[in-house]
Amino acid sequence: MSIEQLYRTRAKELLSSGEVKMVIGYGAGSNKERRRPLFITSAEECDKLVLDSACISNLSGYLLTEGLLSDEKRVAVFLRPEGVRALNVLAAEAQLDTAQIVIIGFDSPKGELKALEGSSVEEFTALITALKEITPETAGEEQLAKIEKMSPEERFLFWQEEFSKCIKCYACRQACPMCYCRRCIVDSNQPQWVNTSSHTLGNFEWNIVRAFHLSGRCVECGNCDRACPVNIPLRLINRKMAEEVLNSFNHFAGTSKTQEPVLASFKKDDSETFIL
Amino acid sequence: MSEPFEPKITAFVCTYCTYAGADLAGTSRLKYAPNVRIIRLPCTGRISPMFILKALQKGADGILISGCHPGDCHFTHGNYHARRRWMVFRALLAFTGIPEERIKYSWISAAEGLKFADLINSITEDIRKLGPFDQYHKLIEETQAPASL
Repeated sequence: MSIEQLYRTRAKELLSSGEVKMVIGYGAGSNKERRRPLFITSAEECDKLVLDSACISNLSGYLLTEGLLSDEKRVAVFLRPEGVRALNVLAAEAQLDTAQIVIIGFDSPKGELKALEGSSVEEFTALITALKEITPETAGEEQLAKIEKMSPEERFLFWQEEFSKCIKCYACRQACPMCYCRRCIVDSNQPQWVNTSSHTLGNFEWNIVRAFHLSGRCVECGNCDRACPVNIPLRLINRKMAEEVLNSFNHFAGTSKTQEPVLASFKKDDSETFIL
Repeated sequence: MSEPFEPKITAFVCTYCTYAGADLAGTSRLKYAPNVRIIRLPCTGRISPMFILKALQKGADGILISGCHPGDCHFTHGNYHARRRWMVFRALLAFTGIPEERIKYSWISAAEGLKFADLINSITEDIRKLGPFDQYHKLIEETQAPASL
């Protein structure tokens, strides 16, 4: 039986036994390469579920939909390892209770789909800890090294050019499971921290703030990167910041649901070299 | 001959240590560069990275952020939180091409009036050598230009 078949049956069982009230998975998209999120509440609909290596978006953000988890019923969700990390981060920040989530885990390293054992976040701990040790082979790694070699002026010009494309649609924010603030800093206008018009200055500020708020929280699912309509390499900044918190604080976002948020905690011996 | 460049420096300081240190520099009649605009805050933990961006947005060429030495915070650990935040934010700014030399961080206690005066002098000199932050100022100008239709 294919993994897709297996998981359809699993979803059916979960729904018909009443163990979960909803399954969040993937359905067919507008073309062969695209998948769209599917929210299923009855066993009959489970045949619409699709699972293959094109199912790349991180669905964990939908769990924070207002009111979804407030009745204390459970919800099953299709997640890749980074999705499980996202769950841990959200739980550590008291945004949800992982006991309410049934994980249907899968991954597709090198395009080959495989099922992941376990339905609770705890069962993924070993897998996530192993991820921490692996240097990710993201396509951006080369570009990252290139940017780091540049002089500050060149770097500024590079990002100026990238950010000048930004139209402030905030799709990166909407797509990100970590951006759950009811009122985002860019929506506040007393004071107006960030220019609302899409001048490069305001775009610069917005993108810096976004990256800063995700430092030590980003699980690098790539939702923002894919959502960006003008292809700003957002993932590069996130990658850089993830490296930074890993090197400075040995912090890998989403290793457990009790992990202390890196910027809401401190050590007395945090070592820096730049404070005069 | 054109006027020599006078850098604009914004200093975000905590009221219990660095502001008191600046006060001591004043009452001790120590002379320091007049380029600095001091903004007093309750604690370094209150200094949001947004303040740094706002200062740049308003045309600052250099920024100083200063508070109590580790262990001396009036609120026991505000400066420890601030230190972590700066470590991360500083790396982010460097990665986006905002020169690290323009944004300085320091610990200055209420007794260190001399350190405050010296630091302001040396920062002013450093920024004067770097020149105005033209790259950022160009972005500011763009926002002030009338919209092209």
